[in-house]
Amino acid sequence: MGKRLAVCAVAQIKNHPDYHDWRFQNMLLECFEPIVEETKVTFDMDKGIRTIITCSDDMFDARTISDNGITDVVGAHFRGEEKMAQESINGLGYAMACILSGHDDVILFMGHCKESQGESRRMISNLAYDPFYCRPLGMDYHNVDALQARAYMEKSKVTDEHLAKVVVRSRANGKKNPYGRENKIVSEKDVLNSPMYSDPLREMHIYPVTDWAYGMLLCSEKRAKEFTKKPVWITGYGSCMDRYFLGDRDIASNFSLKNAAKRAYAMAGIKDPRKDVQVFELSDQAAHQLPMWAEGVGIAEEGRGGQWIDDGGMERFNVNLSGGQLNGNPLLLGGAARALECYYQLSGQAGKRQVKGAKRAVAQAATGGAGQHQAVIVMEA
Amino acid sequence: MTTKKTAGVEDSYQIEGKMALPYSYFAGRVGSKFITTLRDQKKIMGVKCPACNTVYVPPRQVCDVDFTDIRDAWVELESTGTVKNFTVVRYDDKHLPRKAPFVLALIQLEGAGTPFAHILEECKIEDVRIGMKVEAVFAKETTQTILDIDHFKPAAEKASIHEVNARRKQWVPTDEPAEASTRKGGKPDMSKPVIITAALTGAATMRNQNPSVPYKPEEFAEEAYKCWKAGAAMVHVHAREDGGMATHDHARIKATYDAIKDKCPELIVCLSSAVGMGKTAEQRISQIVYIKPDMASLNTNTMNFGIVDRKTGKIFIDYVFENTFGMLQDFGKVMEENGVKPEIECYDMGGLDNTLMIGKQGIFSDPMNFNFVWGVAGGQQFRTEAFIAMMNALPPKANFTTCGVGMDQYPCIMQSCILGGHMRVGLEDNIRMPNGALAKGSYEQVEVAVNIANCLGRPVATTDEARLIMGLRKR
Ligand SMILES: [Zn+2]
Ligand SMILES: [Zn+2]
Repeated sequence: MGKRLAVCAVAQIKNHPDYHDWRFQNMLLECFEPIVEETKVTFDMDKGIRTIITCSDDMFDARTISDNGITDVVGAHFRGEEKMAQESINGLGYAMACILSGHDDVILFMGHCKESQGESRRMISNLAYDPFYCRPLGMDYHNVDALQARAYMEKSKVTDEHLAKVVVRSRANGKKNPYGRENKIVSEKDVLNSPMYSDPLREMHIYPVTDWAYGMLLCSEKRAKEFTKKPVWITGYGSCMDRYFLGDRDIASNFSLKNAAKRAYAMAGIKDPRKDVQVFELSDQAAHQLPMWAEGVGIAEEGRGGQWIDDGGMERFNVNLSGGQLNGNPLLLGGAARALECYYQLSGQAGKRQVKGAKRAVAQAATGGAGQHQAVIVMEA
Repeated sequence: MTTKKTAGVEDSYQIEGKMALPYSYFAGRVGSKFITTLRDQKKIMGVKCPACNTVYVPPRQVCDVDFTDIRDAWVELESTGTVKNFTVVRYDDKHLPRKAPFVLALIQLEGAGTPFAHILEECKIEDVRIGMKVEAVFAKETTQTILDIDHFKPAAEKASIHEVNARRKQWVPTDEPAEASTRKGGKPDMSKPVIITAALTGAATMRNQNPSVPYKPEEFAEEAYKCWKAGAAMVHVHAREDGGMATHDHARIKATYDAIKDKCPELIVCLSSAVGMGKTAEQRISQIVYIKPDMASLNTNTMNFGIVDRKTGKIFIDYVFENTFGMLQDFGKVMEENGVKPEIECYDMGGLDNTLMIGKQGIFSDPMNFNFVWGVAGGQQFRTEAFIAMMNALPPKANFTTCGVGMDQYPCIMQSCILGGHMRVGLEDNIRMPNGALAKGSYEQVEVAVNIANCLGRPVATTDEARLIMGLRKR
């Protein structure tokens, strides 16, 4: 092997609707300290952390170069620091490139987001669109995801009832996750009777506003034993960008996710994800995306997402036992949250959610409306 | 900026701020052309990749599939299109261009390869459907954004011929002899409504030639109704058995006639008195007396009526269609006595002369209604000068319509319409559209006839007007 990097330790705070009395710097510090304590990693320029990767968003932080606000608390002063301004999952891909290339061998990867800070997260995603063709129409990730939902649900025979199942299960699983956002436990009927938001999506179909932060200590295979007895390995990463204009792509096709998964699987030597992987964590920012991404990573048959839910696919493939992004992780951090859950599962620390004998896990996340950019990582015990 | 005390943490403050930045954003050369054309000319432009034929809207400089430079490959698009996907935005927010609820749709313009997003308004949200036709409504003043198309609205359905007719003044008869003289001078009255007839079947057109040929009474009713909706005032009918054979069976013909009248009471029905090959004179006329349709065909000449390969001259079916002077006289009398107006079928000038000659007995009531038939193997092919000669030989008060076999159909009806005559189309005569494609039904050919009338500014006759013009009994 040798073509892998170690996850030595992780830390996170509980996903929360509004940490109004915490600065995001505090949120990060709560993750930073346990990692340093657990691994005894130092900031020694010869043997310690010399490179830090952070993930945050300028608009959510309400300041550009958002990492500038937190470099002190994550120990990034006087050393290398890079900010991932995309889905956090790509920070792991970036760390992988950094370590496997030999550029560095220990990396601290930290991320934060307070979705509660902005008056409207929809206004923030509206700013992701160009100022002439799309932004003036009010396009945002929610209404664009809704367009995808209509196209995908039609294609894969996914119904309102299926989405209700996904929501109910997400909240039930989230309850078992000590870091999960506290949400009201609901019945399928509650979901089916809840208000429409952007047809065919209901308000409950979309992940709630959430504040959160995390940290991960990553290092080369050679140095892993210095920081942990039981590392979890990242063995594959792949990403793919689809076209920008919605009309230019088939938003129900999973084009970019299939490509990303193919590359990650090839790197990790996975032939059949249904047999070779025991845990799947998918970034379902909206409920329809759970069966859709399941098709994309190859555990549900193409065009049969509805049937896959009916057949118990979510349980059979151990999908989103954490509650998923649908239970509440901030935008851009869903991928890190997925990877953290994979880490707990593969290191036997998932408590009530533990999948016995889990050897391999897949985490997936998307950036942009209707999953324009996709990334997949493979982790192994 | 203001500060606010945080509940529960009384010595903490939250800073209430706002991010706002005026900016200029260069749209690019390709984008600039799209934007200025939209703003100044209210035209929506795309670019067409010559390598993969994709028409991109919004336009761009390079095709990302094959890297072809397409910056100058401009094409103008229609401002109408089709809804490919939509959502109903039910929340209000500051970035939204409309109050909730409003419809955000993906719309593919006519001529575009891909849809683009826009707002859909001026219709009930419940009525929005994928596949619905929409048209752009341009903003009165420029917005400097894509909202120079203010929104899309459901495309105006083309007004049906019945709506058009309801809005215009009804035609009233004028001095006929005067009209006949202007007709001879080649100055027909274009304000006179044109009667469109659809010949649904004939005796010989079969389903293997065009699957829309009706056999059963209910199929006749459905086809007739479609033709009426498209603008036909009359249908011409040869009843068929279930298997498709032409029939002289009174009950079957009556069932067919009644089915049409039940479905579309105002529609004029003209029954054939030829029925089909090999029928006796008695079989041909007794059904007319039995049913007493509005109108019936009256044939004027014994003639070859075969099927011959026009290219090689090879004879496929050799048949003589018998219409003696006696039959012309007797059928004509019986029809007039029973209140059935004859449609006088002339396959050449001889048939017309026969009618004028036998008609000297005073058999036919005015106005006489002639049909010039072109392209029967045994009759004459369509020639413009032959048409004019026949028209000029008509009695003063007579009307004329025309039909042509095969591709003679469209030229002959067009000539008739130009000259103030009427038009007959339908699968009896021709199974195809002008472009050679199979007609979806006789109604599609009626649409062509309506188009011809529209091009010439002639109103399309309502059934009431057609009855007035042809002197039929009132409904
Ligand atoms: Zn191309
Ligand atoms: Zn006929």
